[in-house]
Amino acid sequence: MIPASGLNTYALMGSLILVVALTLFVLYKMKRLKQVGSEAQTLRESLDEMDEQAKLIVRTDMELNKTQEELDKKVAGLYALQRFSRAVSTTLEESQIFSRIETGFLEDLGFEKALVFLLKDNLGLRNCLNIGYSDEGLATVQAFFEANKELYLKLIREEKSISTVSGSPVGKDQISRVLKANAFVISPVTPREGAKGLLIVGTENSDTVITEGDEELIIILASQLAQALENARLFEKTWGAQQELERKVEERTRELKNVLEEVRVISKRKTDFISSVSHELRTPLTSIKGYAAILLAGKLGDIPKEVKERLEKINLHSDELAHMVNDLLDISRIESGRVAMKKETLDLGEITEKTVDLLSVQAKEKHIELSYSIDALARSVLADRNQIERVFINLIGNALKFTPQAGKITIQSRSAQNMAQVDITDNGCGIPLEAQEAIFEEFYRVDNAINQEVKGTGLGLALVKHIVEAHGGKIWVQSRAGKGSTFSFTLPLA
Amino acid sequence: MHIGIGISTSRDHIQAAKEAASKARLSLGKEKIDLVFVFSTVDFAHPIVLKTIAGLLGEVRPVIGCSSLSILSDKGILKYGLVVMLFSMSQDSYFNVACVRDISKKSATLAGAQLGEKLLYGCKGVRRTVSIVFSDGLLQNGSELISGLQEKLGRSFPLVGASASDNLAFEKTYIYFGEEILSDAACGILFGGKWSFGLGIQHGWKPLGKTRRVTKSSGNTVSEIDFAPAGKIYEEYFAKDITELKRDLRRIATLYPVGIKIPGEKEYLLRNVIAIEGQTLIFQGDVPQGSTIRLMIGTRESCLQAAAQAAEDVKKNLAGHAIKFALLFDSATRSIIFGRQAPKELDTIKQKLGKNIPVVGIYTYAEQAPLSAINYLGKTYFHSHTITILGVGE
Repeated sequence: MIPASGLNTYALMGSLILVVALTLFVLYKMKRLKQVGSEAQTLRESLDEMDEQAKLIVRTDMELNKTQEELDKKVAGLYALQRFSRAVSTTLEESQIFSRIETGFLEDLGFEKALVFLLKDNLGLRNCLNIGYSDEGLATVQAFFEANKELYLKLIREEKSISTVSGSPVGKDQISRVLKANAFVISPVTPREGAKGLLIVGTENSDTVITEGDEELIIILASQLAQALENARLFEKTWGAQQELERKVEERTRELKNVLEEVRVISKRKTDFISSVSHELRTPLTSIKGYAAILLAGKLGDIPKEVKERLEKINLHSDELAHMVNDLLDISRIESGRVAMKKETLDLGEITEKTVDLLSVQAKEKHIELSYSIDALARSVLADRNQIERVFINLIGNALKFTPQAGKITIQSRSAQNMAQVDITDNGCGIPLEAQEAIFEEFYRVDNAINQEVKGTGLGLALVKHIVEAHGGKIWVQSRAGKGSTFSFTLPLA
Repeated sequence: MHIGIGISTSRDHIQAAKEAASKARLSLGKEKIDLVFVFSTVDFAHPIVLKTIAGLLGEVRPVIGCSSLSILSDKGILKYGLVVMLFSMSQDSYFNVACVRDISKKSATLAGAQLGEKLLYGCKGVRRTVSIVFSDGLLQNGSELISGLQEKLGRSFPLVGASASDNLAFEKTYIYFGEEILSDAACGILFGGKWSFGLGIQHGWKPLGKTRRVTKSSGNTVSEIDFAPAGKIYEEYFAKDITELKRDLRRIATLYPVGIKIPGEKEYLLRNVIAIEGQTLIFQGDVPQGSTIRLMIGTRESCLQAAAQAAEDVKKNLAGHAIKFALLFDSATRSIIFGRQAPKELDTIKQKLGKNIPVVGIYTYAEQAPLSAINYLGKTYFHSHTITILGVGE
């Protein structure tokens, strides 16, 4: 049995141990609590730090988003401008330009409404483009601008734009209300050619932030529009001028045709007249010549010497007149096509030789050297022998007439462009430049000393020209006064 | 169920209505027309369009639909367009359409309840499948409308909704009902009977920074976060004072919404700040007091991944049924974020669903769908920034 004092000691010791244990536990708990408190504090601080970091992230993200949006907008804007430029520059019709402006271009630039007004002569406005406005809305906008002429005329004059972000703030709210747009840009459209005007774009979207960069894009768009209009107008002008020119050419051609027809009619009348007059003249001429011959032959008795001299002159002049009448008759026949060219293969060398032979007496009289050279390739021609002989006689005869003593005449032939070309060259007095065309006209004679001495009808070269042209050839002269002449004509090769 | 889809981009209203309706009729073939969906860009929000469609289709049929920033279709994203969808229902399926007007004159919750009641009319005893609701996109607190609807249809009843949009002017959005063009209104359809559908809802935003608690709020108005003025959280994060924040609000709210942590849900529920009054933040949907929130951040890439995931979820939820067509309710915010690359999102979805599956979609100012797509019997929430895909099975 344990004594009571021993029990008390045990109880005391037990209590002591309990107190110590409790104290230790409390101390431990306190330490733990402090530790947890410290950890919680660290955690709180970490959370606060994280929150601060989160704030940084948000701010950076917001900046990044803003930059990204700006970049997206710029890229979209440039892309839209490129498409716009392609669309409006591939047409040269003014009305087509506006119909090619699509809503998509605007939307990519951040707008959904657009209007284009061009100035009319009376300073009123003509609407050319309407995207996003009802008829009523358009009428309101147009009425507003027409009532504020000074506003748009100033913009056009100064080539300045206004928008919700730039320009004078005066009246912007009113313009916003009229345009029913939270943001707008108004840019002048100023082509150098024709009517100028305004491009108005706007957006109702309150989320769309319009920057000065957006305004710049709209200004570029307006200038591209102006360029397209200018091109279209210049093209229209050029086209109009060309059309006018063509119309005038057509008109003149028609007039010329009419004149030519009149000339033809007159020429035919002249030919007919000459033909009938020549016929009428030949009969009395024959009688005159016949009676003169009878008288000269003395069949009606002797005639005095003076009378005989006069009769011989009558006979000579009658011959000349008959010759002239025959030439005229031939010209009129050829002109009217009544003389058919009896074409056959001719040897130009033979004809030249024959003509030179015929005229050699005259040449000798004037001591003129008459030579010829006929190219083998331009020897055979297709022509009427009698008529071509007349051509040679006329041209060589003229050369002899106008070449002075001891002169020189050459006759040459060569082939040129499937034709035989004959050149008759003399070193005579030559023909003044102003007369070189006229000498082929009927009754034209060059006013020079030789012509005053030597008689002629002025029909020879006209007849020659008609004959050559009737063969499909050409005749012309190259000459210098005092230096001689070359008469050239062509005939078809056989 | 058979469908016929017709699209027109004609600038002439009547011509567009005729073209879209005739193409849809042709696409439906000889099947009877039971129901008509009409979606269009705001330019077509005109009674003559609905009248022309009704006139061309013959007898009067239920027509519902709404306006949109753009139309998403097999032809791409149409910034100017009108789409008509014709439905020919099978014998063992049912539907009922209803509309509620002048929502701002009564509470949105009441309006939602009224719409729910109208939708349920005549459907007692019928196995209800899903409901689709279109509402004015400029309603101040759309979540109240949904809450009212859920009072009548049931909290876990699959409800899919779209808040109509305009051309980002935020001026007026339109609801189509019969031959009426309405604003400040909502219309819906309740489907019943045997047919399968699959839902996919994703946004692609990730939480960033410290978790915060809403310490004072009422409906969609949050005045205190962590016992500090609510505007402070935005001021701190963006290093801008309230005036600057107000100026850049549209942009900031688009890129960095607030995410609400929903207990038991993996995804955060996104909320869009639509206004700042003093230091008070006004959200597009409700933000309950006591909720845990975080700032959210997203990128184009994460949004694309989310779209692909939503399409995958649709297929998964259809549990082996082949998809007949898909309706897309895509947040207008996403179209702003994607910008010119918006077609990429549509392409991704089409690629996942199958290139030959007809797709019709609209851009919305808010979406309504269960938070978790995997179990469609989850509670429907009012969302921002999401892509919601409703795939209808064969």
